[in-house]
Amino acid sequence: MINLFQFIPEIFILSLILITLCFGLFYKDRAISLNTLGFILLSILLLNYGKDFYSSTQISLNTINLFVLSKIILSIGSIVFILLLKRPLKNENLYRYEYVLFLLFAILGSFVLISSNNFLTAFIGLELQSLSLYLMAAFNTKNLSSNEAGIKYFSLGALSSGFLLFGISMIYYDTESFNIQNLDNFTAISEIGLSLVLISLFFKVSAAPFHIWTPDVYEGSPTISTLFFATLPKFASLIFLFRVYQELNISDIKSLNYIFQMVCAISLLVGVYGAITQKVIKRLLAFSSINHIGFMLLGIMSYQFMSEGTLFFYLIIYLITTFGIFAVLLNLRTVDGEFTKISQLKGLRFTSNSKSISMLVFFFSLAGIPPFAGFFAKFFILSASINDGFILLSIIAVLSSVIAAFYYLTIIKNMFFNKSEIELLDDNNKTGKVIFISSGIIITLFFIYPDPLINLVDNLFK
Amino acid sequence: MSFPILSLLILTPIIGALTLSLSSSTQLKNKTIFQSGLWITTGEFLLSLLLPIFYDKSKNGYQFIEFHTWFDKFDINYYVGVDGVSIPLILLTTFLVPICLLCSINSIQNRAKEFVIYFLLLESFIIGVFVSIDIVIFYVFFEAVLIPMFLIIGIWGGENRLYATFKFFLYTLAGSVLMLLAIIYIISKVKSGNIELISDFTFDQQIELVLFLCFFASFAVKVPMFPFHTWLPDAHVQAPTSGSVILAGVLLKLGAYGFIRLSLPFFEYASIYFQPMIFALSCVAIVYTSIVALRQLDMKKMIAYSSVAHMGFVTIGIFTLTQDGINGAYFQMISHGIVSAALFLIVGVVYERHHTRMISDYSGVTNVMPKYSFFFMVFMLSSVGLPGTSGFVGEFLVIMSTISVSVYLTFFTAIGVILGASYMLLLYKNINFGDLKSDIKQLADLTNIEIFYFSCLAFLTMLLGIYPKLLFEMINKSISLSII
Repeated sequence: MINLFQFIPEIFILSLILITLCFGLFYKDRAISLNTLGFILLSILLLNYGKDFYSSTQISLNTINLFVLSKIILSIGSIVFILLLKRPLKNENLYRYEYVLFLLFAILGSFVLISSNNFLTAFIGLELQSLSLYLMAAFNTKNLSSNEAGIKYFSLGALSSGFLLFGISMIYYDTESFNIQNLDNFTAISEIGLSLVLISLFFKVSAAPFHIWTPDVYEGSPTISTLFFATLPKFASLIFLFRVYQELNISDIKSLNYIFQMVCAISLLVGVYGAITQKVIKRLLAFSSINHIGFMLLGIMSYQFMSEGTLFFYLIIYLITTFGIFAVLLNLRTVDGEFTKISQLKGLRFTSNSKSISMLVFFFSLAGIPPFAGFFAKFFILSASINDGFILLSIIAVLSSVIAAFYYLTIIKNMFFNKSEIELLDDNNKTGKVIFISSGIIITLFFIYPDPLINLVDNLFK
Repeated sequence: MSFPILSLLILTPIIGALTLSLSSSTQLKNKTIFQSGLWITTGEFLLSLLLPIFYDKSKNGYQFIEFHTWFDKFDINYYVGVDGVSIPLILLTTFLVPICLLCSINSIQNRAKEFVIYFLLLESFIIGVFVSIDIVIFYVFFEAVLIPMFLIIGIWGGENRLYATFKFFLYTLAGSVLMLLAIIYIISKVKSGNIELISDFTFDQQIELVLFLCFFASFAVKVPMFPFHTWLPDAHVQAPTSGSVILAGVLLKLGAYGFIRLSLPFFEYASIYFQPMIFALSCVAIVYTSIVALRQLDMKKMIAYSSVAHMGFVTIGIFTLTQDGINGAYFQMISHGIVSAALFLIVGVVYERHHTRMISDYSGVTNVMPKYSFFFMVFMLSSVGLPGTSGFVGEFLVIMSTISVSVYLTFFTAIGVILGASYMLLLYKNINFGDLKSDIKQLADLTNIEIFYFSCLAFLTMLLGIYPKLLFEMINKSISLSII
């Protein structure tokens, strides 16, 4: 008898999808408020009863905490995202309630992915998530580059799914099991299979050298979709990658460990070198996210030192910062349409105080300069990795963050030191404004008073 | 004392900056903004005067200690306190910031509010560096200083400001991140960030050498030592006058302070091991940059190179590892903080009137600006180390202490003094004497405000030169503790 109790979060989202489907036929504009309400309910549910859902299962306490925390983060992130999405879509004449549905499917996929103990379930979750993402990339059907982004993402994504399936089948051939835990007797075949699985996951989180799709897809898709790619699904895939690393003890398998370290180092370097010459801000953010993935992989590899806390601290700060940056970008428009180039940011300091100062906070935080929370995020990751003996990787990481500081400074330079050339229109989107200002404040406050965040992470891992 | 004076020192400028930033900018005139900034920083200066008054010179260790846990899990604490080494530098900072604001009332016309805000933030971060006795918050403040300075140079700097400010930021950051790795490693070994606890800990010798080099990378860029000094002339030339003043006056001292506060007590073995290297680099810095300064056409650049040479004395003095040497180095730090700040102000005065920094554009200034020439002379003589001025005491002690190490070292340091005298006198002669150029004639002499702050600075130089005991009383005990 399957205990349905543990599936309550997934069932909740599924019913939300069904309701939205029926409801949306008649009240198209209400889909947003309905889903906001739904996700608020889900967050409250998870915050209060999250651990009870899994109490009847045999999953270890630590893993349960991982599930609950990441699901809480996903649902809170979805609330912010849903609140943000209406205005930008309406500006592009794209608003249809189906967009919310894609979001819901992607989140459902992410939930399934995070808590799956079985490679096949994970595959289904990942596919559900990815297919919605392809649609979101190509959502602006009248725009060529959006279509291109969708097709590129789809074809490359399909390839990586092929790798994943192939890897899973090799593991099944070897161990006769799909379970993620049950892989004690390793042979060469399952090692190869596992490396294929890892490659596919690296693709999903856009770690270099599997990152080629990222800049193009980021640039081509509507900005609101880019925000989604950059945050929630990536977060979910990263958590799953972390689980695979943890459950299968990849740190003990020499060859795979080697792959992991190489990917981490390459991501750190490719991210910064790619970003230096970029002129389009979304491409720059794509490369900078690759660099940050490198840091997160470092956090995954050294999780043993300070438990999952360091990784989550980094992820949460990164998510907040990314949401903030995109909220600012979504609030800006040029006369001829979407705002794209870094040089168009020139003189933002003179037109908008709140935007330029929030951007200053976000980019200094991403560069890891105190007094912003990004500093401690990097500090903890580096502490963990130095304690676990990854000295060389840590040196690469800090040097890469110096180079990263260069292009973050370039953006700040454009906003603060240059006179404006193009008139930027303020979208005057109140929710967007609230979101970026509050993320800026949170980023600064977490530096001065990090206890709430640390306690939240800690309590869930005790 | 239970009164949290150090936190108050850190917080006052921040709170001032916040209030200013919340006030609406359209209604306030530039003058009002500068005035409120001046009130805040003068209040801060008066507040900091409480430190030497209540500081108990007979006691060892830190005083006015405040302790709050910040990250329980990682044992990172907000742990501040001062001893004799930090108090004079705090006073120097709080003394120079109001002067910076005073000198820019006329020259900074656009975005005055931002300017004052960045200066207030800068002040509180710098004080934060000097009061922290936990290695992590030391790093945090040390790094945070970069942000306001980056903006000050970038917004109000000269025509090539972007290049200069990027170079400044990236050089310093590249040095600092290596220190960050070393700090993390130390914390993982010692299990604490407390400076006193780390000083008691002995590292493995090989590792100690590497850790020392990581710290060295950061401080050597900040000091700056040869060959890491190339950012300094650029930054100085492009920065506005007030930026140069705070940069030369206080920011360069952060590196030397780091050597005294962290490198020496943490890495005793490595300090002795690397002594020859640091002596060699400092000698090159003194002789080479002095010669470079001789050939400069730009006044600011000349003084910037002279700063590098003077800071060479400081590093030599510190690494003689003797009481006299460190005392002399410290004295030189404070003296250089006052004198070079004053010299940059001197340059700023004529730049504001004549809009050029080229030495060849000036000649015979003394005919139209006698008061100016007088103050210029006082600071010039102090810079070359005339007895009776503060410059003399520091250089004398440093040179004296080098004899016990090596006579060659003494030789090169002494050459530096001679070269220093030659370029400073040359600068003074070219600007003040000679034929009066026609376009110089309409230059106005010093205003009352300028006379006011120049006299304050000149008074301090004389006071420290004639009665150096004032400073030595304060620092002797703390420095003798850090040598062992």
